[in-house]
Amino acid sequence: MKFSFFHLMPYTHLDPESHEWPFPNRYFDAAKASALYRTYVESMIHAESCGFDWVGCNEHHFSPYGMMANPNLIGGALAYPTKRVKIAIVGNLVPLNNPIRVAEEYAMLDCMTGGRLVAGLMRGIPHEYLAYNIPPGESWERQREAVQLILKAWTEPEPFGWEGKHFQYRQVSIWPKPMQKPHPPLVISASNADSAKFAAEMRATMGMVLLADLPSGKECIRAYREAARSHGWEPTADNILVGMHTCIAETDAEARRQLANGLKYFDEVLMGGLQASQRIVLQKTRYFENEESRDRWKSRLDKRKTLTLDEQIERGTVLCGSPETVVAQIRRIHAELGHGVFNFTVKVGTLPDDVIRRGMELFRDRVLPQVRDL
Amino acid sequence: MQPQARKVPLSSGELGYYVAGEGRPLVYLHPAGGVRWTRVLDELAKSFKLFVPIMPGFDGTPAHASVKSMKGLAGLAGEFIEKIAGGTCDVIGCSFGGYLATWLAAERPQLVDHLVLECPAGFRPKGKGERPADPEALKKLLFLHPEKLPPETKPAEQEAGNRGMLAHYGYPADTDEELLARIPAIDKLTLILHGTADRMIPKESVQLLKSRLPHAYLVYIWDAAHSIEVDQPERMLAVLTSFLERSEGFMVNWGTLAVNPG
Repeated sequence: MKFSFFHLMPYTHLDPESHEWPFPNRYFDAAKASALYRTYVESMIHAESCGFDWVGCNEHHFSPYGMMANPNLIGGALAYPTKRVKIAIVGNLVPLNNPIRVAEEYAMLDCMTGGRLVAGLMRGIPHEYLAYNIPPGESWERQREAVQLILKAWTEPEPFGWEGKHFQYRQVSIWPKPMQKPHPPLVISASNADSAKFAAEMRATMGMVLLADLPSGKECIRAYREAARSHGWEPTADNILVGMHTCIAETDAEARRQLANGLKYFDEVLMGGLQASQRIVLQKTRYFENEESRDRWKSRLDKRKTLTLDEQIERGTVLCGSPETVVAQIRRIHAELGHGVFNFTVKVGTLPDDVIRRGMELFRDRVLPQVRDL
Repeated sequence: MQPQARKVPLSSGELGYYVAGEGRPLVYLHPAGGVRWTRVLDELAKSFKLFVPIMPGFDGTPAHASVKSMKGLAGLAGEFIEKIAGGTCDVIGCSFGGYLATWLAAERPQLVDHLVLECPAGFRPKGKGERPADPEALKKLLFLHPEKLPPETKPAEQEAGNRGMLAHYGYPADTDEELLARIPAIDKLTLILHGTADRMIPKESVQLLKSRLPHAYLVYIWDAAHSIEVDQPERMLAVLTSFLERSEGFMVNWGTLAVNPG
């Protein structure tokens, strides 16, 4: 089993009150953000010495939910202080960006890290489409076309042009090209059957970064495996990434207390405006290809708010407890899903950074030795 | 635009052809299925005087006894251009026609101005590219969007007869090594088009051509199989007309991205 230390980089200095979307940035304090960035990046660098295989981050816009408008900048900050760990950008939101720029920046990171990039090519959660003024109804088409264009930009031996529906380039010849051949490993989000099938078609690792529940996770994995076979390949456990909020402390009680506090800020402050905007996108557009996927997403949003922490632990959608408890939780979830990469979202809302640091050491000393061979 | 069917006597025999439109002459060399008057040809005929010769043995025409090779066929195409198109002109070749156009540019370079190779055949690396087992498999390889096919269809026997002519002209199973060796000497400004979903002519074929031709541009047409003209006519026309009108300048974005210009 491989483990990924994933950071959302939230802004943690807001009053605990609900905000509409977009969050007014009059509340933003650059000095506080500057200190947060330093703490977060140092924490990610430290993850390497705690035995993590990947350090990860992702892209979000117009919100304190995550302060990484361009996660590739964080990748650049991690490139030289780390030596072994994979830099997992999971990922750039390809339907919103210039795909050629994504291909270029990822190729830079791959060269700068000596071939340690894991390249996430994500569709993005619905509200990002409001931020970048991209029609949510085009998200699937743009994602499909952009991913294929990025792969061409990385692998074509000669300059080429691209005449597509959403992207047109008369001549492309990126410098640099990636160090890993034929290209860095891909991660594509797969939180529903449609996206799981697309990930399989692109021979990407499927990423379920915030699992709704174990049965729906199993169903996505089944759809992914089936689609991969129809495209002539068989995924390994390493092609399945499962992620969830994670808090490891000395005792179960301490872990639950800390995570509950962090989740309160996460759900009530960070997710507040996002949920409002996402409902607008889901109700008014064709972001999802079918009603079933749309309903599943809405239900997932609703459930997050209504489930208690104990219920989430019971459902196997968060990791929380003492090292021994977390080992048991990891084993249980692995037995259900058979995945090979576990993605820990460690900074949950206002979860204190010194608690996270201690949790990383507990992971290194008392969790990892028990689950490495899964 | 309705093309007119005509015939011209050439040194080896009579050659049928279609002509449509007015303007600068443009010659289109058809694929192995014979002439299919697509929307792309219709649109080209609005800006060019478009000539589409029917190669001997295709579409129910008789073969010419003395023309039995691609080199010989290129000689015949050259003769057609001299006699009917009025000399040097731009040449488009589709699949088998792209292979023929490459032979033409190698054999009679003075007759070719700009060259367009649409998913050209003749350069498949050994073992690459799918060969259709039957007409249904062929259709799947040709069209990603068969619903866009023009309504007129050829009789199945004629389609089969057309494809039977490939052996007559010594069409190679893989790569024509003789022609490949001559490609570096083709100095024509060339546009190579390839559908991103083309499984008949693999991407390695067009990559090989791109690497050997001294002045070539390769453009992928997204969401098109082998028959780009049917699957994505608008995308093909956007690139093709810009190339024919602006030469190297086709690389420049000549439009405006302003949605609400003041």
